[in-house]
Amino acid sequence: MKRGTEAKPRAPISKMRLHESLWGYLMQAPALLIVTAFILLPIVVSLVLAFTEYDLLTPPEWTDTANFLRLASDRRLWKSFRNTVAVALGGVIGNNVIGFLLAIGVNRAMSKALKYFLRAALFFPVLTTGSSLALVWRYIFGTDRGALNWVLGQIGIESIPWLTSGEWSLRSVILYRIWRGIGMTMVVYLAGLQGIPKDIYEAAKIDGAGSWRLTSRITLPLITPSVFFSLIMGFMSEFQVFEGSYVLTTGGPGDASRTIAVYLYEVAFRRFEMGYGASIAFVLLLLLVCLTMLQFWVGNRWVYYE
Amino acid sequence: MSSHAGAEPRVRRLIGTGGKDLRRRSLRSLTGKGVTYALLLAVALVELVPIMWIVSTSLRMPGESYDLPPDFLPTSFRWQNYRNVFMSTRIDYPLFFLNSLKIALVVTAGQLFTCSMAGFAYARLRFRGREAMFLLFLASMMVPVTVVVIPYFITVKYLGLVDTHWALILPGLSSAFGVFLLRQHFLSLPGELVDAAKIDGASFFRIYWNILLPMVTPALASLGIFGFLAAWNDFYYPSLFLRTFDKYTLPIALVLLKGYMGTGSIAEILAAIVLSMVPIMIVFLVAQDYVIEAMSRSGLKG
Repeated sequence: MKRGTEAKPRAPISKMRLHESLWGYLMQAPALLIVTAFILLPIVVSLVLAFTEYDLLTPPEWTDTANFLRLASDRRLWKSFRNTVAVALGGVIGNNVIGFLLAIGVNRAMSKALKYFLRAALFFPVLTTGSSLALVWRYIFGTDRGALNWVLGQIGIESIPWLTSGEWSLRSVILYRIWRGIGMTMVVYLAGLQGIPKDIYEAAKIDGAGSWRLTSRITLPLITPSVFFSLIMGFMSEFQVFEGSYVLTTGGPGDASRTIAVYLYEVAFRRFEMGYGASIAFVLLLLLVCLTMLQFWVGNRWVYYE
Repeated sequence: MSSHAGAEPRVRRLIGTGGKDLRRRSLRSLTGKGVTYALLLAVALVELVPIMWIVSTSLRMPGESYDLPPDFLPTSFRWQNYRNVFMSTRIDYPLFFLNSLKIALVVTAGQLFTCSMAGFAYARLRFRGREAMFLLFLASMMVPVTVVVIPYFITVKYLGLVDTHWALILPGLSSAFGVFLLRQHFLSLPGELVDAAKIDGASFFRIYWNILLPMVTPALASLGIFGFLAAWNDFYYPSLFLRTFDKYTLPIALVLLKGYMGTGSIAEILAAIVLSMVPIMIVFLVAQDYVIEAMSRSGLKG
C-alpha cells in the first residue's frame, strides 16, 4: 500500500533493489517467525478452541456457541471482570498521576547523587520478582501483626482487614499495583521531560511565565505523547494482572479480588476447561483491542505532536 | 545637579524593590525545593521500605521475623540464614540459580539478535510488505499472555516440550517491543551512513553488524535488561511447564522453600529472595543511565 509513495526503481538499480529486498526478508525472518508461531497463530487457534470443549485428554468437541452463551451468564466471570476494570482504572490513574509528579520532581536540578539514588529507589520494585514482593506485602497488609496496621495504630486508626475482607482486598491489590508500577511510569515521563528543549522554558520565563504556567502551558502539552504511551501500556498490563491478585489474596475472600487472568488460570489449568478458557481469553482480547482503538481515536484529539 | 539628585531615589527605589522581590522569590523557591525534596524522599522511602525489610529480616533469627514494631534496618546479622539456603537439602539453590541464569541469558541473547536484525530491516531496508509486517509486530505487542497461553500450552504438550527449558526459552527468543525499540533507534541514525556504506559496496549484513549496531548500544542495553528481567522473574510459565526438581528456576524455588519451611523460617525464604535479587540489582545499577537514555530516544513518536 505504501508502494505508490516511493520512487519507482529504474532498471539499472533493480538488481540492487532485489538484493536489498532479499536481505530485508531474511533479517526480519527470525523475529517474525517467533512472533507468528507464539503470538499470531495461537490467537487463531484460540478463536477456534473457543467454540469447542477440550480437556487435553479427549479430542476437542465442537460445541458451537455454547461457551459464549455460558460466558454471558457466568456471574463469577462478570465479578472478576468488574474487579479487573477497577484494578486497571485505579492502577493506571494512580501510577500515572504519582509517576508524573515524581518525574517532574526528579527532573529538577539537583545533585547527581541524589538523582541517582531517587531513580534507583523508585525503580527497585519494578525490578524484583513479583511473587517475592507479594510475599512481603502479605506481611505488610496483615490484619493483626501487619506492619501497615501497626503504623496506622500509632496515629490512632483502627486496624483494617486489608486482605481478609471483601471490602478491602481489591483496594489492597490496587495499592500494591501502584506501589509496584510508579517506578516504570516515572521513567517513561522522565524520558519525555528530558526530551523537551530547555530553550522553550527560557523563552517563556523571559516573557514572565510563572512555574504554574510553565507546567500547564509547556510541560503538559509537550509530554502528552508520553502520557499516551504510558496509558496504552498501563491498561495493557493492568488488564492482565495475575500475580498481584494470585499471590496476595488468591482472588479472595470469595471472589472479591479475583481478576480475569486469575479466573482464566483456574478455568484452564485447574479445571482443564481449555475451550471455555479460550472463549474468556478471546473476549478479553476483543475488549483490549476495542479499548486500545478507543484510546488511539480519543488520543488523536488530545495528544500533541510537534 | 538637581536632576542628578532627583534621579537618585528613583534608582534606589528600583534597586530596593528589585532586591526585595528577588529575596522573596528565592525564599519561595527554597521552600518549594524543600517540599519537593521531602515528598520525593518520602515516596522513595515507601518504595524502599518493603525491600529494606526483606534484607534486614533475612539477617534475623527466624522467630523475630514478624516482631512489632517493625524494624526496617538490620538489628542482627545472622549469616547462617544464607548458609542454610545453600545447605538446604530440600532445594538445590546453586542448581536453580544456574537454571535461571542459563534461561535468562539465552533468552536475552536471542532477543538482542533477532530484534536488532528485524529492527534494522524495518528501519533501513526497503522491501515489499515492510509496513504491513511492522504493523503486525505493533499489533502483537498488544496481545496479553493470558490470551495465547492455552494454545501455547497445547503446542508445548504436543511437541513433547513439557518439563524442558525449551518451553520457557522458545517464545522469549524475540519480542515485539524489542523490534519496535530497535527500529526507532535505527531510524534516529543519519541515513547518509547507510548510503555511504552502500556506495562503498558493503553488504547489508556488514552495514548492520559493523556500522549501525555499535551506534545503538543504549537501546541494546535497555532491551537486554528488560529481556533478562522478564525471563529471570517469570513465574507464570515455569509454574505451568516445569515438573522435575532439577529443572526448577529461582521463582519456583522460592515458593518451594515457602512450602517446605512454611511455618517458621521466613528468614530463610527472604535470604533466598535477596540472593535472587542480587544479579538484577547489579545489572540495573550499572546500566541505569542507558535505560533512561534508550527510553527517551525511542521517541514515542513513531
